[in-house]
This record gives sequence, structure tokens and C-alpha cells, in this order.
Amino acid sequence: MAEVILENICKTYGNNFRAIDQLNLSVEDGEFLILVGPSGCGKSTALRMIAGLEDITSGSLRIGGVDVVDMPPKDRDIAMVFQSYALYPHMTVSENIAFSMRLAGKPKAERKKRVDEIAKTLQLTSLLDSKPANLSGGQRQRVAMGRAMVREPAAFLMDEPLSNLDAKLRVQMRAEITSLQKQLGVTTIYVTHDQIEAMTMGDRVAVLKGGVLQQVDTPKRLYESPVNAFVAGFIGSPSMNLFEATLKGGELVFRDFAIRLQDAAFAGRPGLRSYEGRKIVFGIRPEDLYDSSLESGRKYQTIPAKVTSIEELGSEHIVHLNIDAVRVDSGDPDAVDDFGLASNAVARFEPVSAVHSGSEIRLALDDAKFHFFDPETHLAI
Amino acid sequence: MTRQKRSHHRLKRAVAPYLYLSPSLLIIGLLMLLPMVTVIAYSFQNSAVLRRDPSFAGLKHYQAIFADPVFWASLWHTLYFTCMSVVFHMTIGMVFALMLNSDRINPTLRNILRVLYILPWLFTAVIIAVIWRLLLEPNGVVNSVLMQMGIIGSKVEWFSSPETALHAVTFANIWAGYPLFMVSLLAGLQGIPKDFYEAADIDGAKAYQKLIFITIPQLMPIIISISLLDFIWTMQVFPLIWITTGGGPIYSTEVLSTYTYKLAFSSYNLSQASASAVVILLISLGLTLFYIRYQKAR
Repeated sequence: MAEVILENICKTYGNNFRAIDQLNLSVEDGEFLILVGPSGCGKSTALRMIAGLEDITSGSLRIGGVDVVDMPPKDRDIAMVFQSYALYPHMTVSENIAFSMRLAGKPKAERKKRVDEIAKTLQLTSLLDSKPANLSGGQRQRVAMGRAMVREPAAFLMDEPLSNLDAKLRVQMRAEITSLQKQLGVTTIYVTHDQIEAMTMGDRVAVLKGGVLQQVDTPKRLYESPVNAFVAGFIGSPSMNLFEATLKGGELVFRDFAIRLQDAAFAGRPGLRSYEGRKIVFGIRPEDLYDSSLESGRKYQTIPAKVTSIEELGSEHIVHLNIDAVRVDSGDPDAVDDFGLASNAVARFEPVSAVHSGSEIRLALDDAKFHFFDPETHLAI
Repeated sequence: MTRQKRSHHRLKRAVAPYLYLSPSLLIIGLLMLLPMVTVIAYSFQNSAVLRRDPSFAGLKHYQAIFADPVFWASLWHTLYFTCMSVVFHMTIGMVFALMLNSDRINPTLRNILRVLYILPWLFTAVIIAVIWRLLLEPNGVVNSVLMQMGIIGSKVEWFSSPETALHAVTFANIWAGYPLFMVSLLAGLQGIPKDFYEAADIDGAKAYQKLIFITIPQLMPIIISISLLDFIWTMQVFPLIWITTGGGPIYSTEVLSTYTYKLAFSSYNLSQASASAVVILLISLGLTLFYIRYQKAR
């Protein structure tokens, strides 16, 4: 077990493309850190650099206090779980798990003992003689975990290990990996593009965009206090609604309506007053928007909106809306599809809501949950 | 649709696939099955082809060829020639494929090598035979180089000496045939997921361990398929041996194909030649059945 420390890590490819730019991260001993970001943000590259599968252009990387920049992967005391699992199809489950011990020349009896222990932990005992092709996705995933565990490494590196599973199994494996990590207490760095995995699994989450670290924090703080509009838009599903507004006399003025800001909004954000008379990015999460005709929405101020479509999920309604305001792009390349053609906002209503597609409604806003960002830098105010 | 129309439609649907298959079946029947059956029939006749009303000979011709020491020598030469060719085709093909697949070799050099290594495949058997006859001539390049290097003391008559002739034709055949393995194995190598090697790197595998535990097992289906095909094809090689040595000297490079040819067209003993051809057919058939069973098992 060990801490993993990345200092000013850069990765530049031959064509001068900088995949990772000055990455600083400190992963505590036993911590479960999630590296998350949209496709192409450099998260897998960062993980592969930690594993030693990609060269580090500059910067320092220490695992358990040892500088490993020039070390081959096998000497870094890490184990990796690949997106494809990389299970050898010609070997049985048992042989796959024991592969690293076999390479290290460990005696057969010792290998068997260790494999049996791991198989018991991962509930693979009855499958030890099967070939990977005969296993389900979830079982393969567990074998890949077993292969990583057998080495008793200082750190686990996982590269989108759940992305090949169907949605239901993913939920189950999410819980399994989290509890296994807690049980083993091994430092884990987990790469995903799925922000639900990021929010539910990690002790802390590092959000990357374009090779640059945006924010590292607990899932709760990332959700509640994103440092910029990108993190605000990326974390949370559906994404936060972001609109352009002008701050005028304590009110947020949109095209055709205005929202009055409470004193508390200014008290918590000393910088907000300096935007008086200027443009500002206003953000509110779908779950902080309410149907004003229901009890839950009555206490808040309202704005006009038109319902464009509704996704009835049983436990909630995802309501796509059009409001008379200019939407701001958070900069997340994967999130453009969140909004329908005619809609520019999303709300999450209780299932008792009777709104229907095409209806004009009053949308209630929880004013304690407003977010504000600078229109130029997109940094949180 | 009336009942009559419906049954007509059903009949058309049932017959259609066979109609599509019929041209190829006809060609195979005329050009392959018919000659094969005829040869089998000849092998049981006295003076086949030569006489209008040949008499039934039973197993006489088979007994004759099994009693002929040249037949057994030919069989042994065929096995030696085939086994050595297949083993070396595979070994050389594998080494070259690994080289061409390696990241450590400069991509431009790799492309040049790819063309160079595949060259033997572009030549017909006749050209290969002529090239090697010239190279291995007593006054040829090979002798001169080997003598200059001090490996041999005097000129060796590679194709004309009974001690070296079989090795020489085998060598020429190895040179001519490895590209099939190289190309097939290279395609196989390119299909092995990179993750396998990266996972092995993390697990601490050395280069030879990656070869033994990942590369070879992953290529096994290709190795087995191509080896079986190569075995079947090499067993029947005729032009290379016929042009280089003609089966000599003193039968030292006689293989089943040249033995059969001589029986048929030098001795005009077409019945015995047919019996010998049937023996080749049976060996090839055995290997082919093995190949088909292997392919089905996959």
C-alpha cells in the first residue's frame, strides 16, 4: 500500500500535441481516487503513465515514496485492470489469475493456495477451470480484478473497467468494486467517463478536461461547489442548466423575465456584487427546479417555461423545457445531446407532476441552490 | 394464391439453391471427380489406357509398388522433404513475421523488408528451380562464397551428389515457401490485442515469456491450419524437383510425385502409376480429413 504522487506531469506527443499538461495529484494511501472527464481529456493517458505503459515527457511520479518515472511497469508495484479485461482466452480462470505468480516462478502449491483465496473472495471458485469465453461480462470483470489482486500491489489502476457491461450489471459491479476496495484498503486510481461512477465510487474525484486538471474534491463538494462551469456541467445527470443573464439592481435579468436574488446569494459570494450591470452565467441543477403547481414548488419564485418533452422514469419525470434565455455551453464535448432540439433546459420533477408536452408552465427555482460563473473565464463566483 | 401456385412456389424455392450450385458442381465433377475415379479404376486394371479392353488386375499393381524399393525410398524422401519444409517454413515465417511486427524496427525499413521477404512468393516453381540450379552449380555463387569463407574446401555438386541433393532441393523449397507462413502469421500477430502484452508487461513478463505464453498460443489456430495445408501441398510438389534433379541422382531425390510420373510417362506403366497416385491420394485425403475435422472443432 502506498501513496501515489504526480508532480507537474506532462505528456507531449511527437506532433506537439499535449495530452497532459502540468498534472498535480496526490493520492493518499488507501484512497479511492476517480479520474473523470469527457472523451479525449487525457484521463486514460494519465493512468497509463502511472502504469508505465506511456512515457512521461516531464514531471515526477512517486509511488510509495519511490520515484518510478524511469522504471518499467513490472517494477512499479502496481496492478492494472483494463477496459477489455485483457484476459488470455487460451488460459483458464485459474491460470489467468495465477499468471503473474507463474512468471515470477512461484511454486505450484503456493499459486494454487493464493488463487483459491482470491477466488473465494470474488466468488469465482466454481469457475476456476473455465475459459474466459464461457464467462459472463460480470464474471470476466471479477477475473480481471482477481488477476490484479493476486499481486498484492501498492496500487490498483483501473481503466474504465465497467464500460463493457450492461447498465444493470454496472450498478452491481460498482458496489462490488467499491466494497472490495474498502476491504483491501489498496490505493486505487480509477478512470471513467461516467460521472455516476465517479460520484458513487470514489473518496475523491479528479475532473480533467483537455489534459488539464479542473478540480479534485469529494463527490459532494464537486456537486455542490464546482470550481467552474465545465465541472458544474459535467458532474450531475442531467447536466446543470447554464444561462446567460445580466445582474441589475439585485436581479438576474434574462431576455423576458428576471429573477430576484436574495441577500444570502450575495453574502456567500463577495465577488458577485462586482458583476452589477454586467453579464454573468447563471446555473441551476435540474433537481433544483420545481413544478410550481405542486406543494414542493410553491415557496419559490417562478419563471415562465414551455414543456417540450417529458421522459417518465417512474420515480421521476425528466422534463425538457424551453425558457426565454440564452443557454451557455459548459464546454463538455460529450454533453451536447442532453437537450432536445427545441429545449434549452432540463428539470427533474416529482412523478405526481401533471405537466405535459406542449404546456406552458411556471417553473419554480430553489434560490438557495443558484450557481454563478464568470462569462469569460467560466470560473465560479 | 391457389394451392397449386403455392406448391409451385415452394418447389421453386427448394430447387433454386441447387441450380445456383450446379455450374460449380459440374466443373468439379468433370475436372476432379471423374479423373480421380478413373485413376482409381486404372489402378485395378492390367495395361490401363494402353489397351482397349484391359483385364481386372486386383491388387497386383499395389503389391508391385509396395515391393519396389524405389517406392519406399520415394515415400521416405517425400516425408523428409515435406516435414523439413513445413517445420522451416513455419520457423522462418514466424521469425520474419515477428520482425515485421516489431515496433523496434524503423517503419520504412520494415516496409522494405516486407517486400524483400515476400519476393520468393512471386516466383513460379520453374523460376525458383532455375535460380537455385544456377546458384548451386559447382561453379555457382554459393560454392564460391562458402569456399571463400572457408566453410567448404572444394566445390560441392549440390544437386548432383546423392549425399546433398535431397537437402539441396529441400532447402530451395524452404526458401520458396516461407512467405505464406510469414504473411499469415503477420496477419495473426496484428490481430492480437495490445492489451495482452501490456497486461503481461505489468505482470513482469520477459520477451520470451510473452512469446511462449501469449503470442504462440494466440497464433496456434493459424499455425495448425497453415501447417496442415502446407503439408498437403508440399507432399505433392513436382516441378521444383523435376527441374532441379529430376528425382536423381540414383533416386536420391525421388519423391512420390516424380516416382509416379516416371512410371506413367517413362515406363508407360500407367496401371502402376495409377496405384502410386492412389497412394498419394489416400495420404492427402487423410491429412485433408484431419484438417477439416480441426476446422470444424474450432
